[in-house]
Amino acid sequence: MKIAVCIKQVPDSTQVKVDPKTGTLIRAGVPSILNPYDHFALEAALALKEKNGGEVIVVSMGPSQAKSVIRLAQALGADTGILLCDRVFAGSDTWATAYALSRALRKIGKLDLIICGQMAIDGDTAQTGPAVAQMLHLPQITFCEKIDVRNRTLRAKKHIDDGFEVLEATLPVLCTMTMPHDYKPKYPSFPAVARSEAKPFELWTAQDVGAEEQYCGLNGSPTRVDRVYAPPQRKPGAVINGSAAELADRLVEILKKECFVK
Amino acid sequence: MPTTDAISRNLMLDSLREYAKRNIPYDFVREMDAKNEFPAALLKDMYDPEVLGINLLLIPKEYGGLGGSTVDIYRVCEALARIDLGVATSVFATFLGSDPLRVGGTEEQKRHWFKRMAEERLLVAYGATEADAGSDLVSLRTRAEQVVKDGELVGYRITGNKQWISNGGVADLYTVLALAPGGPSWFLVERTAEGFEANKHEDKHGIRLSNTAGLAYDDVFVPRNQLIGEVEGQGLLQAQAVFGYTRLMVAAFGLGGGWEALELAVKYSQQRIQAGGPLSQKQGYTHKLLVPHAIRLEAARSYIEEVAARLDGEEHGLQTEGAIAKYYATEEGNKTAEDAIQALGGYGYTRDFPVEKIKRDVKITCIYEGTNEIMEMTIYRGRWQEHLKTRGEYYPKLAAELDELHKTNPDVGADSAALGLRALAKVLEECRVQRLTRHQYVTFKLGELIANAEVAAAFCRTAAAKQIPDSFRLDRDCYKAMARVNARETAFDVAGKGVKLVLGNGNGDAAAFSAAVELVRIEDKMRGLVDDMDIVSRKMNETFRAK
Repeated sequence: MKIAVCIKQVPDSTQVKVDPKTGTLIRAGVPSILNPYDHFALEAALALKEKNGGEVIVVSMGPSQAKSVIRLAQALGADTGILLCDRVFAGSDTWATAYALSRALRKIGKLDLIICGQMAIDGDTAQTGPAVAQMLHLPQITFCEKIDVRNRTLRAKKHIDDGFEVLEATLPVLCTMTMPHDYKPKYPSFPAVARSEAKPFELWTAQDVGAEEQYCGLNGSPTRVDRVYAPPQRKPGAVINGSAAELADRLVEILKKECFVK
Repeated sequence: MPTTDAISRNLMLDSLREYAKRNIPYDFVREMDAKNEFPAALLKDMYDPEVLGINLLLIPKEYGGLGGSTVDIYRVCEALARIDLGVATSVFATFLGSDPLRVGGTEEQKRHWFKRMAEERLLVAYGATEADAGSDLVSLRTRAEQVVKDGELVGYRITGNKQWISNGGVADLYTVLALAPGGPSWFLVERTAEGFEANKHEDKHGIRLSNTAGLAYDDVFVPRNQLIGEVEGQGLLQAQAVFGYTRLMVAAFGLGGGWEALELAVKYSQQRIQAGGPLSQKQGYTHKLLVPHAIRLEAARSYIEEVAARLDGEEHGLQTEGAIAKYYATEEGNKTAEDAIQALGGYGYTRDFPVEKIKRDVKITCIYEGTNEIMEMTIYRGRWQEHLKTRGEYYPKLAAELDELHKTNPDVGADSAALGLRALAKVLEECRVQRLTRHQYVTFKLGELIANAEVAAAFCRTAAAKQIPDSFRLDRDCYKAMARVNARETAFDVAGKGVKLVLGNGNGDAAAFSAAVELVRIEDKMRGLVDDMDIVSRKMNETFRAK
């Protein structure tokens, strides 16, 4: 089985703050990490490989520094790494990113399964995975927590608003993975990191994947960011205690005071 | 030769930090520290190649290890020190214990012992120090007598005592220095050897997670092929050969311990509101307790990186450089931790906050692997020879290089650093003319001034380089501001202390000698000093945010 995992290098958003005056992100000293959803997606791919055999190819788009998340993926067990790296891709929104990735995935060819993280923690859009599926004319199952493959059928446990769905699809298929709240990403041992140095890695440009410039980067991106800002902090709520009657009285009092009722 | 690329190094460091976050929380460390207990299971886990395999970094590739470069190992030592200096010491002792084998072992010995170290996750100890042989290993008393059978040398019988041995009570394998008929020699002795006994675990001031014990050898038989190199009398040379390298690792401990304490203090200062504002906004606090240490720790790093790169570039020895790195970084790490306690006030004095433990731990870095007074002496000896050999041109030549650097990079303080180096040359020359180095105090002080002046120069060079160290978390402007502050402070320090040293021990005219070291020109460079310190303070507060 040939599996591709789409991964992204992101700033560790738990450490990023927004400058309240300028509205810009304070990136100083913030480490770059493998997007945790993609990390989970990779682990799902590696589990499938362990069970069914085959190979895992990781694909990322980004500046040359993004090579480090590819190497991390390879240290964790991925076989081949491909980085889409070209000035032309700079400023891509989710559509242009999906376009470039889909071109790369098409070039790899004969994929049985493509796995993406549900979303990247620096944008929270959850659009790229589904868009890639659309561009490759593949069926998609989004928000999967668990996937398994038997006899060329993928069975996925998918998150929905009030529970789970279990869906099946015949390969090839694309799925996006969500992750449990208590998910702790695996990290590689020192020898595993050292072994990753010898694994195949390729840098692909827009031309290499046959991407048309008009659909790439800022030019190819229909999205325009108006502004980025930190929402104003909400005032803390109040907790009131007492009997039902006391609570009702107190509530009416508050509603009157705040001018919600007369 | 460097064998691990920068990406691998950073991935390994990430894995180590993640491992520590999950397995070595402060509560655990605190408990072990209180109990004075060595976390044996933790070390075995860290040596497990499926978990971390940290011990494999020092084992050459051809013997089943990862063949880490000096840069790799310095960074891992720094990261370990930030986790716990006791655990770091235990890992380091394994590194150190295998050094004589790496330097002097025969091919067969290396193949056999390194393979065992890798496969059996052996904890190793380095047994050199004795009651009367610390920095002065020539006074060694442990004996290795030849055992001859049928006219053939079959082995040695070792008798003697070692003390202050890291991993002493818990190691699987010991590298022991003993006096053979042909001179001091290293032997590989297993824990199970008959007649060997480890003494009690010492009750130490700090690094209490590291086991420290004496070793007692009573007529312990060691086969001939466990004499490292299978030639007697090579022991001291083999020990000397790695000092440049091992002292760099202790320097990294000072750096790591210092930065950990400093970062905690910076974060604390943002939360502690006094007189209407956080301490982080109060210059009297930041510019005394935080900023100078951040600057000097980064100065130390720049020097460590230069030496590490040279060692990886196949330069051998570098004993003076290793001593400078160790001296500067550990003195600074220790002072930083001391001021971190001060920065946290009453909280810093309690064990609820880690700075108190860091302070106790980091003190050892000023003592082990050669005390810092021995470092001062080593530095002085090495550079005094250079001063004499070059007829006083050693430092003026370095200064000229920095003046050139200043022309292309006028914002890294190279002009001030050059003044410091010229002042140093004048001080050395005056000491020669007045024969002041007959006073030991003068020689040690010269060691200090030399270290400061050379580190300041390295900082300027690094700040002007295409790439600043990738482990530096603030930005380039801040890095340059740090280099400028350090160069000015150092020049002032070298010239001022130099004048004091010469006049305090010899004769001379104060005004004339102050003019010779160009004290006024150095003072003139002070303009903008506090603005630069403000930049550093601001950047640290932006980068190290309290949660």
